Amino acid sequence: MRWALTFGLLGLTGLLGLGIFEIWPRPCFPDPDEIALAWGVENSVAAIVLGQRLWDTILEVLVYVLAMVGVRFFLAGLRWQTKLPPVAETPFFRRSADLLFGPILVFAIYVAASGHIGPGGGFPAGVIVGSGLLLLALAKGTEQLAAELYEPKLEGLEYAAVLATLVLGALVLIFGLRSATAFVAGNILIALEVAIGAWAVLHRFAAARGEV
Amino acid sequence: MTTVVLSALAFGLALFALTQRRLLWGVLGVGAHSLALAGLYLSLSAPDVALTEAAVGFGLVTMIYLLAIRRTGKLVVAACPIYPLLYQEGDRIAGLEWEILEGFARWCHLDLEVLWVSRQEIFELLRAGEAHLGAGGFLPNSESRVRFTRPILPTKLVHVRCQDGPAGVVAGEPGEALVPHPIVAYEDAEELAQALDRGEVGQAVVDLLRYREWQLKRAIPDASFTVLPEERWYSFAVAPGEEELWASLEKFLEELQARGELGELVRRYLG
Repeated sequence: MRWALTFGLLGLTGLLGLGIFEIWPRPCFPDPDEIALAWGVENSVAAIVLGQRLWDTILEVLVYVLAMVGVRFFLAGLRWQTKLPPVAETPFFRRSADLLFGPILVFAIYVAASGHIGPGGGFPAGVIVGSGLLLLALAKGTEQLAAELYEPKLEGLEYAAVLATLVLGALVLIFGLRSATAFVAGNILIALEVAIGAWAVLHRFAAARGEV
Repeated sequence: MTTVVLSALAFGLALFALTQRRLLWGVLGVGAHSLALAGLYLSLSAPDVALTEAAVGFGLVTMIYLLAIRRTGKLVVAACPIYPLLYQEGDRIAGLEWEILEGFARWCHLDLEVLWVSRQEIFELLRAGEAHLGAGGFLPNSESRVRFTRPILPTKLVHVRCQDGPAGVVAGEPGEALVPHPIVAYEDAEELAQALDRGEVGQAVVDLLRYREWQLKRAIPDASFTVLPEERWYSFAVAPGEEELWASLEKFLEELQARGELGELVRRYLG
């Protein structure tokens, strides 16, 4: 164990050294501001994530969706015998969570839609919506929220969003579409996928009570 | 300068989160640590990463932990009500066992939650790992997988006889072996009293406190009774696999006994 740790640390240091002294082969990057200019958006991060490196993003989305499908598939068969009594939360907390969810959603939409101008984008927006859903789950109980959200429809929406992302990616990659609208649409689609996926996975694990 | 201050803050908050005994404070510490990290990223002119860090670290992860510790950061007690050991009085719960459990939960920094279930469901919840403790006038029996703590209060079993007929017992209680067959098992003492009242069973075996409750509520018809000679006692049941919980509850009860507080509680509730 000790030897493995020593070698691991030495190897890590070596890798870092290779990186710092540029012995490690590095691809040559153009200036971020130039990329932003070329793609016609103000936020260079968005220009890289949704423009220059679109393949990375598309494949990342696919990995995420695949993980979610896997969790859904493998946890779907688990059933528990004893039903848990529903969690009793105070009406005040329940109502506050309901009231808070609206502003959270609006903020998430803002973060997604303004991702090409300033900091933001699809991923944080989706995570913000996911946190809002979890807040509701905390207040109402997971099962109740799942019944209210009607999961099969959400699942359909998520796959539709994935398809739309692929079509959008094809438009950008093959037909050379370059416009801010494509960025806004891409960010919103990614936000949808991340939010629904986060909720679906967490709901499955909560339903299985962590006993997998 | 900002970078150094935020780094120190993040480090301090991480230490705070690690050293908390109460899970809730630890989770809040991790959330605050994430916010400090987000501030650090912002000061390093990486606003996109800062936003994501804040959304994931402070939002999503904190929520997931809160959902998780709602079950694990709690001491879940499955119990059936029994006066004056553990009972609901309007909105609040009271009783001798309740005071012990409250003290124990405070002692090990856990929040207490009571699930009111029938006697039989207590075992199911304990075995399924959904509850940590079983309480409410629990009589130790031969149930092998559940562990029992030291006696809280001595009691005896009472053989109640209204008429001839089969004997009723509460399923899972030690009365089963003491009366002549045939035996009918009921989910809890209340159902047993109703069966006795309807004449479904002619006899019953219950503990002293429940028999007193029946008499006070006039839940059963007139009956003769004999107190069975064997010594019995009430104690807490601990879920299988919760060795640490069992050990600390034992230690807590031992200290309670040594300080004489247990005797004080018994005097206050039972005279």
